[in-house]
Amino acid sequence: MLNPLMILADLPPPTWGIFAEGQVIPFLFGTAFVVVVYVLISRARAGEPIPEIRKIAGLDAVDEAIGRATEMGRPVHFGPGIGAVSNAQTIAAFAVLGYVAKMCAQYDTQLIQTNRNIYVYAVNEEIVKQSYLEAGRPDAYNPDDVRYISGFQWAYCAGVLGIMEREKPAANIMYGSWFAETMIFLEVGNIVGAIQIGATTNTAQLPFFIAAADYTLIGEEMFAASAYISKEPVLRGTVVGQDIFRILIFAIIIIGTILQQIDPEENPLARILTEF
Amino acid sequence: MRKELPLLITTVFGLLMVFGRWFWLGQLWGIESITDQWIIISNGFAVAIGVVNLTQLHGRNVQRRREHWPYSLVLIVAMYGYMAIALYETVEGPTATWLYDGLFTPIGSAMFALIAFYITSAAYRVFRVRTREATVLMICAVITMLGMAPIGEVLISGWHSVAEWGMDVPVSAAFRGITIGARLGFMATAMRIILGLERAHLGGYGAS
Repeated sequence: MLNPLMILADLPPPTWGIFAEGQVIPFLFGTAFVVVVYVLISRARAGEPIPEIRKIAGLDAVDEAIGRATEMGRPVHFGPGIGAVSNAQTIAAFAVLGYVAKMCAQYDTQLIQTNRNIYVYAVNEEIVKQSYLEAGRPDAYNPDDVRYISGFQWAYCAGVLGIMEREKPAANIMYGSWFAETMIFLEVGNIVGAIQIGATTNTAQLPFFIAAADYTLIGEEMFAASAYISKEPVLRGTVVGQDIFRILIFAIIIIGTILQQIDPEENPLARILTEF
Repeated sequence: MRKELPLLITTVFGLLMVFGRWFWLGQLWGIESITDQWIIISNGFAVAIGVVNLTQLHGRNVQRRREHWPYSLVLIVAMYGYMAIALYETVEGPTATWLYDGLFTPIGSAMFALIAFYITSAAYRVFRVRTREATVLMICAVITMLGMAPIGEVLISGWHSVAEWGMDVPVSAAFRGITIGARLGFMATAMRIILGLERAHLGGYGAS
């Protein structure tokens, strides 16, 4: 157990009496975000119109990929990235996995789901099982298809490559936090002739996805998946709120850039953002 | 209760983490540090789930003589063999260290090294000039690659600076734009989970 007195010695005094150092702006920003999203959710619940989400080709392609695998009689591989269960990208992958598993259950197509993280494996096992149940095909669920490979990155990589070479999936869906293994997976997927869909926010890996995958979801697109797939107006409200704030941040960047050009030493916006 | 209890726990801990990050009192109580410790402790238990899953899956493969079952046998022998050695002489013992450093690490490095070959084959496919986008991609790649290699500077003086500018300004700006969008996505996802709107992690893909 941590001793608060020990922490107190290192802790700077509170800002405005209650906030931790440098957390006023994040608090205000976060609160404003919650308010905007709450308003949009309320509008959606009241049946009032809220903006539509634009078409996301990568998510539309999921149906195409599963359909192709069904026609070819080959499995679908779904990788949720190698991030922890607390990683937002992994959480975004859960919604897509649920959808993919349900579709696979309906079309009686084998879904191979591989995991590097043991918590992610536990959650994914439950998601796949539940999706087969929701699709009315609990008997088709095969526990051996949701696989924990290894906690080590390259051991996981080797395991998945082996699976792809042996079981030759017709669709390879890589949705989550990916790192150096991205290129290897995509090229092996290409060798086995799989249609490939990638999604990540890890900017170092995005060029690889763009280059080697058939469809790529870039950055925030992957977080719109649950709203896009479920078509729930309430969830759509959160995505619209996300977009409103992106415009707000863009405006702040423009204002900050202008102020910086006027007086690089005394930019009031930069001072507020760094001090609070 | 199957879904309500996990949702309640998620909401409570989500709010607690926000409190621990933004508020002085939360930092004084060390909420983030305490939950980090809990995660480390629970990780230890989670390893057992992995061992059970691997044993069940590969044990069945061996038992039923499924295709490629010898690989499953190798995995089981390696996993339990290393476990036995590590239990007998600790993970820092001579045999366990030798196996790790002499076998596991080089295999990992070999896997990592494969990237170079796969990048080459992917680049070949992508840079075949078929579309306008592929042409732009190829031109940018050539400028950057030659600028980053010593030969670029030998061919045209100042090429390296051009390539570096490309990496530092337009590429960096695009990446930051993606990162800002992604962070907002993180926030929206966190909010949906804390409010119990997104329940995909509880099974299925259904929303509230």
